[in-house]
Amino acid sequence: MRALTDEEMKTVLDKLANYMSDLKSLIAPLDDGDRYVFRLNHSRVYYVKLSIANLATSISRDALLSLGTCLGKLTKTGKFRLHITALPVLAQGARHKIWIKENGAQPFLYGSNVVKAHVGRWSEDCPEHQGCVVYSMADIPLGFGVTARSTTEARRLDPTGVVCFRQADCGEYLRDEDTLFAG
Amino acid sequence: MAPTRTIKNKHADGSKSSSSSGGPKRSSKDGVKKPFSGGSKPGGGGSSKSGPKGTKPPPKEQKSKPNFGQDRKKKPRVYTEKELGIPELNMITPVGVTKPKGKKKGKVFVDDRESMSTILAIVQAEKEGQIESKLIKARQMEEIREARKAEAEKKEQERKTKLDETKELMRKKRKRGDENNKKKKDGDDEEGDKIVKEAVLGGTKAGKTKKKSVSFAAED
Repeated sequence: MRALTDEEMKTVLDKLANYMSDLKSLIAPLDDGDRYVFRLNHSRVYYVKLSIANLATSISRDALLSLGTCLGKLTKTGKFRLHITALPVLAQGARHKIWIKENGAQPFLYGSNVVKAHVGRWSEDCPEHQGCVVYSMADIPLGFGVTARSTTEARRLDPTGVVCFRQADCGEYLRDEDTLFAG
Repeated sequence: MAPTRTIKNKHADGSKSSSSSGGPKRSSKDGVKKPFSGGSKPGGGGSSKSGPKGTKPPPKEQKSKPNFGQDRKKKPRVYTEKELGIPELNMITPVGVTKPKGKKKGKVFVDDRESMSTILAIVQAEKEGQIESKLIKARQMEEIREARKAEAEKKEQERKTKLDETKELMRKKRKRGDENNKKKKDGDDEEGDKIVKEAVLGGTKAGKTKKKSVSFAAED
């Protein structure tokens, strides 16, 4: 386990900035004097409290399975891929949101894109191909994706047109159970 | 006595000459050289001189040989890849992969809050700029689309009004034409009716006149 390098940190924050408006809250000091840091272990990036990260140094790399919140994976080409486990962090400071109706929740959780007919409401002034967090109508985050159309264009779209391309959904906790945390 | 001496000397000479290292001093002291060097006096004198020279040249030769070799090896080292003019893309290691020589090896970690916050600020500013530009672009595109739509609607409206005008004109023309025709038609109809009536009446009269009558022969 180690801290991220300059480049790695930039790629991770760049990806997070697609979905979040306020990144500074990520590293803001907590009330107890602690703060959150980013740690890398087996090419996975973890968002963890500094005190816990310091405790984890006593565990060998191979034995350390996971700590804190796993944000995603750094690929061998140097890119960063967000996992569904990062959803609570993204949902805290989401830049753009889409609320889907009850009839659209199940298709989304089974891995399909969001169709206009399933959208309950969406945040205004959302451009095309921008990261957004998908919520149920009861404000429960279900996953995240990338907008297929801007809000103005989406208004003109027919009901079967795709509004948001799925990136990750909560169904992955079951579907990718074997590979989500290790491998 | 003499032959034994000569034999010993010969052996000694041979051994010394073969051994090479310790020989020359003894040979110069002994009288053995005369029979060994034999016929030529200058050769004997030369051998006495060459004795010390002979010791010097071998190291010279040894030095000279590897020197030549080193020189030959060094010469190709002088040409760097830049001097040879090999295109950079044709190298084994790609251009981007080569690391600068002056830099230290290893990774520089970002763990302190200040450096993290600076990176964070840079990234966020970049993203904001990108999103802003996207939004502006989208708005501009939307404006252009609306303007085009308005223009198209205007054109459509103009075309419709033109069409309506022509329709009106046509209607008016038709109406005028119809009225004239009606007048004409009314006159014609009356005449026609008369003719028909006459014809009908005439027909009926003709039928009555042509009515056959049967006459029987009067009985007496």
